[in-house]
Amino acid sequence: MKIRKHINYKLVILIILSIFSIVFVYNDYFLYKTSILKINNIENVYEEDSEFYTQKITGVIKNGKYKDNIITYENKSSYSGVYDEQIHDKSELLLELDSTGKEVIRFVGIKRDKYLVVLIILFINLLLIVTRFKGLKTLFTLFINILISIFSVLLFNQYRTNMNMLLLYIFVSLIFIILSLYIPNGKSKKTLAAILSSIISLFVSFSFSVILIKLFGSDLSIWNMEYMEIVYDYKNFFYVNILLCGLGAIMDIAITISSSLNELIVKNPRISKSSLLKSGKEISKDIIGTMSNVMLYTCFTPIIPTIFLAMRNGVILSRAFSLYGILDLVIVLCSAISIVLSIPISLYVSVLILKGKGGVK
Amino acid sequence: MIGVLSLVFFILLIIVGKERGIKTFITFYLNLFLIMLYLTFINLGMNAIILSIITCVLASFISLFILNGFNKKTLSSFISIIFVLLFVFIIICLISNYSNIQGFSFESVETIGAYSFNINYKMKDVIIGMYLICVIGTIIDTSISISSSMKEINDNNKKITKKELYYSGMNVGNDILNTTINTLFFALVSSFIGFILWHKGYSLEYIINYKSFAQSAIELLIAFIGSILIIPITAYISSIILKRK
Repeated sequence: MKIRKHINYKLVILIILSIFSIVFVYNDYFLYKTSILKINNIENVYEEDSEFYTQKITGVIKNGKYKDNIITYENKSSYSGVYDEQIHDKSELLLELDSTGKEVIRFVGIKRDKYLVVLIILFINLLLIVTRFKGLKTLFTLFINILISIFSVLLFNQYRTNMNMLLLYIFVSLIFIILSLYIPNGKSKKTLAAILSSIISLFVSFSFSVILIKLFGSDLSIWNMEYMEIVYDYKNFFYVNILLCGLGAIMDIAITISSSLNELIVKNPRISKSSLLKSGKEISKDIIGTMSNVMLYTCFTPIIPTIFLAMRNGVILSRAFSLYGILDLVIVLCSAISIVLSIPISLYVSVLILKGKGGVK
Repeated sequence: MIGVLSLVFFILLIIVGKERGIKTFITFYLNLFLIMLYLTFINLGMNAIILSIITCVLASFISLFILNGFNKKTLSSFISIIFVLLFVFIIICLISNYSNIQGFSFESVETIGAYSFNINYKMKDVIIGMYLICVIGTIIDTSISISSSMKEINDNNKKITKKELYYSGMNVGNDILNTTINTLFFALVSSFIGFILWHKGYSLEYIINYKSFAQSAIELLIAFIGSILIIPITAYISSIILKRK
């Protein structure tokens, strides 16, 4: 009874906070420096024999010194919506106005923060309700990881010229491993085994991938995309992609193996190393199957719209794929390889640490 | 390059996983083939949303019944996946209807600039389909882990009630969730890093409202939401199917 009341109490706080954040983000105009246009009326003017059309938009500015000014804006749009915005009456536009506050100088974008916040709130609510608030640790780990990622990029942006991106991210990924295994699992031999196996797996598989790419990767388009050099160090960024993509999966495998071996040792403290290895191999057969497919579906899908656009323009699938999909497939395959490599590594490291001198405490 | 990597992947799979490894290799390439097939068919002008649903069902069919055989646990996973797809589909439709996330934004103009944008196909449908396909991998993974452990628990303890079985399924799911969210985060984090590298010096309000940022963020959040929703649904459906005589 007491526990039940406790949960309800947390639930009430959660719901109040959620409603508050959603109401806030729907009215956060005062936070913006750019003018925000709330739309009153849209008139679509269609051109003959074309999928393109013009949207004549009238609306009111909601913030800043031009507040309550009525603005008209013309937006080019199309049926397909490849490279334009299809504005509808619920959108809010971010606009840059001239000094009179009547004319639009530049269209900045559509206000999308509210949709992101609604999804984030939905995610947090589902997570906490399904796990009965045990997911707080997960949420906290995620939050820390996001902070580290943002901080690392800002750091790199600041000192771009005299900093090696790859070295920076090798260092950052060590922090990622230690924190994301330590925070949810606490201080124990199990965690130590998982952290060490992840680090070793990461280094072995990453150097393996780099060697393979250096030896056989001469046909990759990455080596002749000079125009990208102006923007950032894309070659190193490609390696950073490979480094980070499989990182979560490696940790997943490491903690799964070390905690199930730990479970076996707790149940039978006298279990021998060889039988531990044998049961470990059984466990690894179960986890080997699905992970590579998760990587394929999650990492490969974002390239679909680009390949599709090329195909609609008459480029055949195999050509479009080798133009835009190959790098992503290389990244997916490298992380799939690192997943497979991490299984035996985690197994041996875990047995060594959990069954090392002193036995189990 | 792809050939070399595939070969290495294949050899490692055989060493580590024996015949299970071969099956994994086959499903991996069947799934890749499925995505190519999906692209071919939407290029012919068929509806991307309907096709993506078919692709998802086929993908779960491959991963569940080919990799794990047809039995009570794969059947309950299959039914749960269909339900979750439905929920996720509704969320995706609502979000992409309002947030204008179809199509490309400024930084991809180097890649797509050479093409005609007059393609007579709604990019909104393409992006809804993309999100559905993106989320399927992780829900299959989570669902099969939960239903397998529940079957183990049920086999080891025949006297367990339906309700107890449901709660142990939920516990298993909660244990997996932490690592699943971690895996998804790292699988997609580099797109955010790349994004911020591109947009050096832009203001925060510009970045969080930017189209391709919203696309990646929504993708990540939808994958998170899918992998949470699958837990109670698989636990519930498995507890019913496993307890049926």
